[in-house]
Amino acid sequence: MKRSVLLHNIKITLFFLTAATLLSTVFFLLSNNSANVAIVYVLATVLVARNTAGYVPGIVAAFLSVVFINFVFTYPYMALNFTLDGYPVTFLGMVIIATLTSTLTTHLKEQSRILKERERMLIEAEKEKMRANLLRAISHDLRTPLTGIIGAAESYLEQESLLSEYEKARLVETISEDAQWLLHMVENLLSVTRINNQTACVKTALEPLEEVVSSALQRFHKRLPESKVHAQIPDELIMIPMDATLIEQVLINLLENAVYHSGSEQPVSLSVTVDSRQASFHIRDYGLGFEPEALDSLFDGYALTKNHSSDSHKGMGIGLSICKTIINAHHGQIFAKNHSDGAEFTFTLPLGEYTHEPEIDSSNY
Amino acid sequence: MSQKLTAVIIEDEKNICRFIESVLTGESYKTVTASTGTEGLSVIASQCPDIILLDLGLPDMDGMEIIRDVRQFTHTPIIVISARTQEDEKVSALDCGADDYITKPFGTSELMARIRTALRHSHRNEKSDSMYSCGGLNIDFDRRLISLDGKEIHLTQIEYKLVSLLAKQAGKVLTYDYLMRQIWGPYSDNNNQILRVNMAHIRRKLEKNPAEPEYIFTEIGVGYRMREE
Repeated sequence: MKRSVLLHNIKITLFFLTAATLLSTVFFLLSNNSANVAIVYVLATVLVARNTAGYVPGIVAAFLSVVFINFVFTYPYMALNFTLDGYPVTFLGMVIIATLTSTLTTHLKEQSRILKERERMLIEAEKEKMRANLLRAISHDLRTPLTGIIGAAESYLEQESLLSEYEKARLVETISEDAQWLLHMVENLLSVTRINNQTACVKTALEPLEEVVSSALQRFHKRLPESKVHAQIPDELIMIPMDATLIEQVLINLLENAVYHSGSEQPVSLSVTVDSRQASFHIRDYGLGFEPEALDSLFDGYALTKNHSSDSHKGMGIGLSICKTIINAHHGQIFAKNHSDGAEFTFTLPLGEYTHEPEIDSSNY
Repeated sequence: MSQKLTAVIIEDEKNICRFIESVLTGESYKTVTASTGTEGLSVIASQCPDIILLDLGLPDMDGMEIIRDVRQFTHTPIIVISARTQEDEKVSALDCGADDYITKPFGTSELMARIRTALRHSHRNEKSDSMYSCGGLNIDFDRRLISLDGKEIHLTQIEYKLVSLLAKQAGKVLTYDYLMRQIWGPYSDNNNQILRVNMAHIRRKLEKNPAEPEYIFTEIGVGYRMREE
């Protein structure tokens, strides 16, 4: 046993026994009845067993208690006399109680320690799995555009004289396109660093819904100028607690996902509905919809790439798993489903207490 | 323009420096580059440039310090080039006296647009315009009249102040802090809710669809920018 534990055990034992002695003395002086005294010492023994490590302190406490009761509180006072009637029974009883309590508490402590340990290991394993998935997805998604960039750049450098102007322009376009895609991915990854590692939470502030939506649309249009989006949000001013940069990222990811994977030229629709508890964002496209078997693993990080080999470098693997991470960190939910004409992503954000337009009379301020 | 405009580029990464330089030279600017803050400051002092492009992550000096130093002797527009997407940094650069920011990576057209906007503002610095006109939106600063598609718009006093502040510096990001101080005074609350609420009111009066505004844009975490031309 470690010294600190031993010291702790001794301190606890002495503390409870002293307390019991003081209490018993008061009882004894007031009522002159030694029955309560035994009860008080039993209690002290139980407490000692409960609050110390191992069996020894409880048994020692029981032994000391019995000796002490005999010495102080039974006739002849201030002398030991173990020949009193029933004394061995009292002694045995106390020792058994102490041993049982010690066993039970030790057992209990051990069990809760094991439980905690197991829980920690589970979380650790889960984290490890997520990390591995993410890394796998990242390396896959990074390698594809990089291959395009390197290939295009090398063929330009090595065969410059053989290429027509048109082919050269094509190669540079490829480089530019793939580089944009890389940037998009890096921005996504960067956004995850805003989420607190330990608590998996984000710093939120009340943000007007319309500003986040409009800013996301603006950035989306900058990246994909030809794509159309129909946006519809509630008329009243809604303030939602969030990290606006991250929610903007989620919106952009989902909109781009809709554009790349719907296989349709129809405008994507973005609508937001609000009820008393949460705001729900719906991103709908009017295209192919999801493969039913892909729905379960959509947010896992590397689901989409198999079926879309023709369009492989637009794999949204990381994008969607990052969306889920971000929404989870906001205590919201995200899910995907098919509607009659295509695919729909929905995510929710819980509303704070103070979200509807506050009464501020701006003219008299 | 008979005389070439001079741009100072303070940037420690060679490739980016080269890229900006070639873009600006192509647009017939005269460029001077510096790779450290100290060098940059001395170049600015000796060249009296028309515009300064400043990277915030320099090896020897904090970018904010450079902005403050430059602002002590000149109003030359400064455009901050920030590699990080952290809003805090952009906001403090703007509040230190930078005119605008551009986040790496950026395209040629975006860079040139920002430079032109900054130059335009520095030229008409003193003689303030009496009109703002963009799309269907017209603001007559002298008569305090705002009209949208020919119809007069009624704004409260605060709303008008906000819109005219943004319009007079159209194209430029005005930070939450700056707007709060301008409208509600230096001792205004740190909480910018009142500003956000007023902007929402304005949006409902000026924009057809608040989710897709045409005139006043939000820069998440930084501030607002009014459309220019």
